[in-house]
Amino acid sequence: MSTPTRTIFVAMLKEEWRLQSTLFGGRRFAAFPLAVLALTAGGFVLLSEAGTGQEAIVAGLHALVVFFGLQVGTIGLVGRDAMRDVLGDMTLLVFSSRTLPITWRRLLAIFLVKDLLYYSILFVGPVALAYTPIAIAGGQPPLEVGLLWLTLSGAFALGVGSSLTLIGLGSHHRLVGLGAVALVTAGVVLGGVDPVTLTPYGTYTDATLANAVAGFAPVVVLGVFGVLLFEPGERSQGRKRFALVDRLVHAVPDDRGITHKALFSVVRSSGSVWKVLFSMGVLFGVAALLLSELSRATAIEPHRGIAFGALLGLGGFTTYAWLTQFEDEGATLRYPVTTAAVFAGIRRAYLALVLPTGLVYFAIATVWVPISELLVGVVVFPLVAVYVYGLTAYVAGFSPTELLFDTPLFLAFGSGLSLMALPVLIASLANSAAPTIAMGVAVGVSTVAAAIGIVLGRLAGPRWESRLRTSS
Amino acid sequence: MTAIETEGLTRRYGEVTALEDLSLTVDEGELFGLLGPNGSGKTTTIEILTGQLTPTSGSATVLSHDPVAEPLAVREAIGILPEREDPPSFLTPREYLQFVGDVRDLADVAGRIETWADRLSFSHKLDTLATDLSEGERQRVMLAQAFLHEPSLVFIDEPLVNLDPILQEEVKDHLQEYCDAGNTLFLSTHFVDVAEELCTDVAILREGELLATRDPRELAGEETLLEYFISTVGADPAEVTR
Repeated sequence: MSTPTRTIFVAMLKEEWRLQSTLFGGRRFAAFPLAVLALTAGGFVLLSEAGTGQEAIVAGLHALVVFFGLQVGTIGLVGRDAMRDVLGDMTLLVFSSRTLPITWRRLLAIFLVKDLLYYSILFVGPVALAYTPIAIAGGQPPLEVGLLWLTLSGAFALGVGSSLTLIGLGSHHRLVGLGAVALVTAGVVLGGVDPVTLTPYGTYTDATLANAVAGFAPVVVLGVFGVLLFEPGERSQGRKRFALVDRLVHAVPDDRGITHKALFSVVRSSGSVWKVLFSMGVLFGVAALLLSELSRATAIEPHRGIAFGALLGLGGFTTYAWLTQFEDEGATLRYPVTTAAVFAGIRRAYLALVLPTGLVYFAIATVWVPISELLVGVVVFPLVAVYVYGLTAYVAGFSPTELLFDTPLFLAFGSGLSLMALPVLIASLANSAAPTIAMGVAVGVSTVAAAIGIVLGRLAGPRWESRLRTSS
Repeated sequence: MTAIETEGLTRRYGEVTALEDLSLTVDEGELFGLLGPNGSGKTTTIEILTGQLTPTSGSATVLSHDPVAEPLAVREAIGILPEREDPPSFLTPREYLQFVGDVRDLADVAGRIETWADRLSFSHKLDTLATDLSEGERQRVMLAQAFLHEPSLVFIDEPLVNLDPILQEEVKDHLQEYCDAGNTLFLSTHFVDVAEELCTDVAILREGELLATRDPRELAGEETLLEYFISTVGADPAEVTR
């Protein structure tokens, strides 16, 4: 490493630690890996008790980590201006190329390496460690856990690199970005392409040198493409406004302006409405891949409608985060409406974005999934989305991104989601054994969850108004 | 000797023209001021000249370098203080300036930091996180990073914003001394009185077009630069910041 590169890398590591410990408190931040370890270990025990095999657990784990990487990569959609709105009036070293003789791409490349190292140790490390008891029980050597950590880290990097590359492509030629997603999904689902060999998971299943090269080469290629193609997108002068999108926003009912304000904050910020489509598309693609792998590798025939409904509904969280990214907590107290009315306006905007987007993917799924199977998912999806809204608004208020590193909040939110998601997803997996009961459980649990979500959503306003008034 | 030269510099964003056919020359040792209402193309000009933005057409030379072909060579040679730029929030001023010195491969960075912190009155804040500094203190740190390597040309977008009156005077004195030593300053500012007091030459932009260049000391009779500026851009005096 040349001296400036080392200087930048060390300064960025220091900056990351300071940022997390300042924002969320040193103890809470330090407890985060422990929380990940505990939650993951608990999840593994539940899955094992439900009869899920080790192979399926490891495959699912890789897919989930790829998905997490894709989500982390979408921070690129945010850009510097919105980062200020998410984190407050803050500046990071990655944006210092304006004043120094360093290129933006070099800073971004070092920033990515730093982020990969950071997540690999604090997030992927505990996940791999949580697998140790299962590995030992299954007679696998301890070295296997080390291999799992390596391939999961690779899977995370694959997700981040894919995200940045697609965003980079999308920012130059939007249709090319969408086309690439459609092509990969179609290739996997229809074309019989085995994507596993081109991922780090392929290296885990058969750890040979040739497989390692084939599995990690796309990680490197996508990382390089991501850095080369991605633009920060902080200038607004060239940003296009779409009259059709504006008309659609105005078509959403709104009595006090809050709904339209929230919708405009999404559709007029970097990535516009495409980021919602992209984010849920990623979720949909990973779910489709995971379900097809599960059917291929095990005797389980999951109910795809239920699984799509649950996972797309859970994906509503990202949209909630985008809707609230410009919402200043202090400013909401100065509005001439109650905080409950603000949450009601955001809820309307959330449903206006999440429901049609989810239905687009259900329509795509009709290509290979029977409509009768998807109809159950169409019932489950909005119910789960309503629950996710209520839970997020109640637990996290206007700062959902803080959940990620505030351990107690993260545990509360994760437990709340698991209480609803686990029975629904287990019902999807139990479809072959008892289809009617599985559908009944999925619809029943999601209906109860939606009712709880409505109550939590209504309580969020008074709760946060009282909190904000006390703290200000 | 010429420090900056532009020829037909134009920048368009789709149908919006931010800068139209800008041709100007800034000699070494000048304190050059770029004046204009909001959206007149001042920031776009600085971004092109410092290699941050590619022009749609036209050419420029900055200290004998082409900012389009050699953006890093330009940024190595000059100092820049962009508008609304803060030091990284989670580093202290000392750490950030050390970082700047290391990236620029400077000798005796620690000594330079002490000198500039003392000169701009933030020695007592050198080890405070930037996120805990006031706006004025952050502006002082950014001024220090622009001058840390003692460049012969510095671009500054609004040098006095957020500074208290005493420090404003000190900074003005420093800028004057800096140019007296043969260095060049390229200022973009809304403060017409500051430009009148400091600048050896000003250019007035409106809607991306260069309307006039003028030495404020050569204004006729009782006319102030503000009056000249208003009559040139045709603006309502109430819209112009004194």
